[in-house]
Amino acid sequence: MPASNRRTVGELLADSDALARDTLLDVSPTTGPAMARAWGQVVQSAAQLWAVLPPASLAPASGPDLMVRLRVLGEGISRSTAGQWPGPGPQDQHLLEIAHNLSRARELVERYGGDVQPTSADARADIAAARARVMHTLYVGAHGTAVALRDYAADLRDRLRLDTQRRWPVDSRPNVREIEAAEAMASRFEVFEQLAAGYVAPHPVTASVLGGVRPTPRPSRLQSALTAWEIQVHCTLATVPDAADLVRIGRIQALIASAAAVVTEAAGQKTEIDPEMTDRVAATLDASQVAWSRLAKRWGELTSPDSRTDPALTRAAGEVRAAIAATASTPTGWATPDQIASRVDLRRTLKSLHLSMVGAVDIAHVAQEVAATQPTLTGPARVIAMRAQGEAEIAKEQGVTAYDGITWATSQQITANQLIPLPEPARRGLVNLTNDVIATCGRAVAAGPLDPSESAQPKRSGGPPAQRRSGQSRTMRRQERASEGPRR
Amino acid sequence: MEQMDTEVVETVAGVARLLRRAAQLAWTQADVAGPRSSHQLLALGIDSAADEASSLLPRRAQLDGPTPVGDNPAELLASAEQLLRRICVVGAPARLLSLRVMVAELVWEANTGAGK
Repeated sequence: MPASNRRTVGELLADSDALARDTLLDVSPTTGPAMARAWGQVVQSAAQLWAVLPPASLAPASGPDLMVRLRVLGEGISRSTAGQWPGPGPQDQHLLEIAHNLSRARELVERYGGDVQPTSADARADIAAARARVMHTLYVGAHGTAVALRDYAADLRDRLRLDTQRRWPVDSRPNVREIEAAEAMASRFEVFEQLAAGYVAPHPVTASVLGGVRPTPRPSRLQSALTAWEIQVHCTLATVPDAADLVRIGRIQALIASAAAVVTEAAGQKTEIDPEMTDRVAATLDASQVAWSRLAKRWGELTSPDSRTDPALTRAAGEVRAAIAATASTPTGWATPDQIASRVDLRRTLKSLHLSMVGAVDIAHVAQEVAATQPTLTGPARVIAMRAQGEAEIAKEQGVTAYDGITWATSQQITANQLIPLPEPARRGLVNLTNDVIATCGRAVAAGPLDPSESAQPKRSGGPPAQRRSGQSRTMRRQERASEGPRR
Repeated sequence: MEQMDTEVVETVAGVARLLRRAAQLAWTQADVAGPRSSHQLLALGIDSAADEASSLLPRRAQLDGPTPVGDNPAELLASAEQLLRRICVVGAPARLLSLRVMVAELVWEANTGAGK
């Protein structure tokens, strides 16, 4: 047996964590795409190991498992890397080695770990440490990949600027769409990193605290509903979604933004957060709500009497609606700050909603892919022809003449209002609206009152969060800047 | 799913049309009221009820038809509830009974402050 295969589970996990840290040291502009391609395998291996690790506590699981959410995000990223950008190509060896280590660790746990029960404090500490290591590996790996992708995109932008100045042929210059795709992918890795940070903060991986893990508070109904919603959205969008699904997604995301604004104001009035910050945060959330609503309305134009919403999505949406109503509304409208504070822990509720806004960035990216590439998109001829013409005229104002003289639907199709395939300008209109959503969500996340790593901190506890990397706020600023899509 | 006779299918299709129209109007109210409108909660509730009504119908059932008259979501919801009351007899499918409960709650919601 090779020496590398004699390692224990602990050694494999420690090595994986170290390899993930190495990704931050070895970043070069060319590594980003290769890392993005390999990421799906890392997440899949991590999720499979997570599933076979014994529970760290004898108590039953108290809510949705973050790893399920991360697995769904990882699968979405995998589909995008294979089908959209960067497409097939070399994969990063560091990340593949991490995936291999985690798979090997799973084999060992499956073979020898069946009789391990968390009955003693030592066993519980070991299991908790293993879980912390796995999550920390994902956290650092996602950060490293996001950094590499930002560098890749920045490098391409520099080259494009130089090539343009030198008047090199357009064909030999970097492609703007590739730059945008790399930036969008980086943004999705930053979302992944932020979500993983929610676990890493209360479960830090340091020698002094491994085994001394703080308990995670039981998730609220709202937190559970939001997590289940996010997972369901990704599942629905991974198939062939109906326009009605996109309408529901937009409407629920808009409601989440509204609820976040209402709870933010309540937290401001109850001095749970800096009152000066309240107005700024609420304004970004309002902008996000408007952007999601506009997108939902546009998707609504593509529905027909035969459109059907995915039943699982309808159920998840119903639970989000019910949970938000129970948290922040009364029979006469939104609840007052006092009423909300009497029902829920404001800081925790705000954190749940804020994390949901983080997840919304990724949902918007996936929705954008659907708008840009889903070949089966159709819509009623009258509205589609009108939209396509409107977008073509906007394009013309920007100097694009490719759509001049094109008729978008025949007179028969218009008369019968038949369902017709979505023409390119109408598709572009959907993509532009989704870019607005991405940009507004990015701003809402960047302005957010709570960093995920502050999870479960007591009221006005002061002091720094348990673990925070200096680059984090910078990362979010970059995300905000990069998410600003084309403007109308 | 339990088999429904033609009259029940047509009635449920009518309910679905009423609910879809009510949802459309509720969303217009929500959008006009601005980003923090609590009307969103009612509108989403009506959307869910409309989905449930549609899912009760056989795939071949025709949902397109005349647009229900009226511009008040609460009145359209009340009409839907009245239609459901007619077919929610003893022995009716459980999902139909659940839909009636759901619509009755929405009628109440629409007639209190949140939906007004």
